[in-house]
Amino acid sequence: MAALLLPATLLVLGLLVAPMAMLFRISLNRYDAAQMMQEALTAENYLRALADPYYREVMATTLGVALSSTLLALLIGFPAAYWLARMESRWKSLATILTLFPLLVGNVVRAAGWMALLGRDGAINAALIGTGLIAEPLPMLYTTGAVIAGILAVVAPYMILTLAAVIEAIPRSVEEAAANLGAGPLTSFRRVVLPLALPGVAAGCVLVFILCMNAYATPVLLGGPQFKMMAPAVYDQFVRGTNWPFGAALAFLLLIVTLVLTILGSTILAGRSRSR
Amino acid sequence: MGTLTLDAISRRYATTVAVERVDLDVAQGEFVALLGPSGCGKTTTLRMVAGFVPPSSGRILIAGRDVTKAPPHGRDTGMVFQSYALFPHMTVGENVAFGLEMRKVARAERDARVREALRLARLEGLADRLPRQLSGGQQQRVALARALVVNPAVFLLDEPLSNLDAKLRAEVRIEIRALQQRLGLTTLFVTHDQEEALTMADRLVVMERGRVRQIGTAEALYERPADAFVAGFIGRCNLLRGTPEAPGRFRTPGGALLPCLPQQAHHGQVLALRPERIAVATAGDGLAARLVAVTYLGAQTEYHLDLAGTRLLAIAPTPAEGDPRRALAPGDAVLALWDPAEARLLPAEPGDLPDDAT
Amino acid sequence: MRLTRRSTFAVALTAGLPGFASAQQSGQVVVGTWGGDYGDLLASNIDKPILAPKGVEVVQDVGPQDPRKTKLIAERASRRGSMDVCCLSDVDMFTLAQQGVFEPIEEGRIPNLARAIPSLKRPYSAPHIYSAKVILYNPAKVTAAPQSYADLWDPKYRGRVGLVDILHLQNMEAASLAAGGTEHDYEPGKRKLMELRSLDAKVYPSNEALAAALKSEEVWLTIMWLARGFMWKKSGIPVEHAVPSEGATSICFEMSVPKNARNRTGAMAYLDAALDARAQTAFADRMGYAPTVTDAQLPPELARQISLTQEQQAKLRTPDYEYIAKNQVALIDFWNKEFKR
Repeated sequence: MAALLLPATLLVLGLLVAPMAMLFRISLNRYDAAQMMQEALTAENYLRALADPYYREVMATTLGVALSSTLLALLIGFPAAYWLARMESRWKSLATILTLFPLLVGNVVRAAGWMALLGRDGAINAALIGTGLIAEPLPMLYTTGAVIAGILAVVAPYMILTLAAVIEAIPRSVEEAAANLGAGPLTSFRRVVLPLALPGVAAGCVLVFILCMNAYATPVLLGGPQFKMMAPAVYDQFVRGTNWPFGAALAFLLLIVTLVLTILGSTILAGRSRSR
Repeated sequence: MGTLTLDAISRRYATTVAVERVDLDVAQGEFVALLGPSGCGKTTTLRMVAGFVPPSSGRILIAGRDVTKAPPHGRDTGMVFQSYALFPHMTVGENVAFGLEMRKVARAERDARVREALRLARLEGLADRLPRQLSGGQQQRVALARALVVNPAVFLLDEPLSNLDAKLRAEVRIEIRALQQRLGLTTLFVTHDQEEALTMADRLVVMERGRVRQIGTAEALYERPADAFVAGFIGRCNLLRGTPEAPGRFRTPGGALLPCLPQQAHHGQVLALRPERIAVATAGDGLAARLVAVTYLGAQTEYHLDLAGTRLLAIAPTPAEGDPRRALAPGDAVLALWDPAEARLLPAEPGDLPDDAT
Repeated sequence: MRLTRRSTFAVALTAGLPGFASAQQSGQVVVGTWGGDYGDLLASNIDKPILAPKGVEVVQDVGPQDPRKTKLIAERASRRGSMDVCCLSDVDMFTLAQQGVFEPIEEGRIPNLARAIPSLKRPYSAPHIYSAKVILYNPAKVTAAPQSYADLWDPKYRGRVGLVDILHLQNMEAASLAAGGTEHDYEPGKRKLMELRSLDAKVYPSNEALAAALKSEEVWLTIMWLARGFMWKKSGIPVEHAVPSEGATSICFEMSVPKNARNRTGAMAYLDAALDARAQTAFADRMGYAPTVTDAQLPPELARQISLTQEQQAKLRTPDYEYIAKNQVALIDFWNKEFKR
């Protein structure tokens, strides 16, 4: 058995761990304009990133967008997932495919769609001006709202399908039992469905939060140049600035913050579901 | 506690009719079983009473109140689900207390009632366990306790014994019946197991393809079935095709003339005759028949007879040693005798007779 | 020929392993380039008519510039690289040349280089096509054609100047020139840009987004390559170009041969073919970039639209690559942290 697992383990190590280790090593190097980087073992890249109010703000923006997108995805996703999970007819598989549909389109193409919708001359402004509701186009593109909307469209399917899988495993009879014992729909949701769906809520939130923290195309295209999240900032350092050590340090800080919050969040949720 | 009335309730779907105009009155403290093969509409009927399925037409009254439009949580029924449907994240105590909480029963009273319900269900000491830590039988009793603790107007049981093994099932059957009688619960019980229904219920409702075929006590259904389906479904019965000739005379396709209860010819075309009401003899009165097979079953013996081309099953207590009937073997000529009052002409619908299916 | 599964596998295997199949023997040249029009034009004007008859097979490794740059850096240490020819814009080419990733250019092996515009020649690359940084404006809204970069700071154009994010270095250089500085120091431009920021200048994430904003007349003025302005005009975007009195700055798209190229001979032949006069004119017509060789003749009407006058040509500035390379990180920091905030 162990022998059979070995090639897969090596593959995972090679594909996952090795690049991370290399990235970490680079993050300890020193930037040099002529040589790109000098071999070193220094924490200065991390210290610089932590000390710079600009990157603190970028991190704050990233966290804000990721947390609110995750929360919104949960709020939108739960009813949709419930509806999908409790669907009985032959339309169910069609509905599942439709949920997945946004994922079939690349992030960039989808963002282009949002741009066409939210732009100054986009569909929404055109409709609002056409109906005489507003005179001047509303600024919608290149706003935090546009980024959150764009990210939501990407992550909602992940949230819905994760939740639906868990809700589907909750027997309908358990909900019926709650109703039979006198619980109205809201009480039944709060006391029975939600606690039982908690593992799914945790899984969905973790998945979506990680996706949001690492969003690249959507913030770049819908947030505009003034809007900065961590992933585009990392990209800027690597590719535009060719400052690999600093870019690697930023990438690791993003990774650590994401990891810590993910572990924290899922521990709290897991604790809740056990104490129930 | 209260009465339950179903007033011509129906449930139709786009292409099928699940329940067709069911009328039923369940008296205070009465135990009524809905019995029938799968797909007969018994579960749908129960679920309409609980409020999970809205009737297409008709009315449901619980304790005199029309609850047809009421949501499940506004009906005051206590249901035991086939799968028990315990809340997996709550302890036994929390499960049982849930209904009382919903009814805003004060803490102290709630605790007392939960304790009492657990005692009744012989679950003392298990209050802090989670459902998954219990055996199937214990889970079943938690489901019972949870439904009973709220004192529902109507107690609903959806095949509650089907997930238990045979030995346990027999015990729980008696237990539930005892509890029901002691608490005077108005009970509607769904089962496909006729033995279960016969042993537990005050009255049975036999359903088939969405319709009620007959409502009555176990004895009424057995002795005076309304039609060939009920006769065949409750206990074993010879159901013979043929034509009523004169009052008290029924002619089989093979030409034999069988004595029966004198009834109007329009009562039906099927003669129903319980196997244990046929006496098999080697001499004396009776219709001549030939023995096809003999099956010795200890206390009883089954005789498969051929009566002028008509197959007939007779069951009799195994005769004593030395009785000439003990020596009967296939091919022997015998005499079959019954009281004409035991042979009834019954109406039959297509599909009511077992051999119709073939 | 019917490929068996095994032979297909062998082909896939050898293609995937560097050093396994020798490009030298097969006469194959791998060109790291942009896709789209540029890649198509390379194929139809260089690869097929000039190199194919010589037995050189060209394989395009198509992708955006940034990943290509990153690939070169990442492959720096390996003995055999994945590209024989690498196409980059001038600034990036210089930055990478500083890292010593390119083979020196041997004029002897690239005869066409003798006819290249001298100011565009570099020791590490061959100039392929070029254009100049100009002002684009909407003639319906900006009635008096702007004369200089400084005109963009006119308060009457408040909120009507749009800049594209990816040209941050070019925008900073223009600001320096507008502030009376030079291309050798962008410091004066920083203050000037902050002024423009207070005049509500807009920044767009991509050329496409800027084009859309120009088309919808959300903004009226921008700083852009003349070639792109020409293409936009052709596609119906209401813009005219003005060559700034401070002097236009050149942009040149160049080709180099990485030191670890597998087929250096073929690569040099490729660079020579790229400088072929006929091949060059095709890029002018389709993409609006001017030829880099003096013997390429453009139709006069086209020449008027995409090239500079003698006088403007004389004032053409070359970016200070060394300054940029040295200050790149700090400049991006300013752009991101100060200007775009």
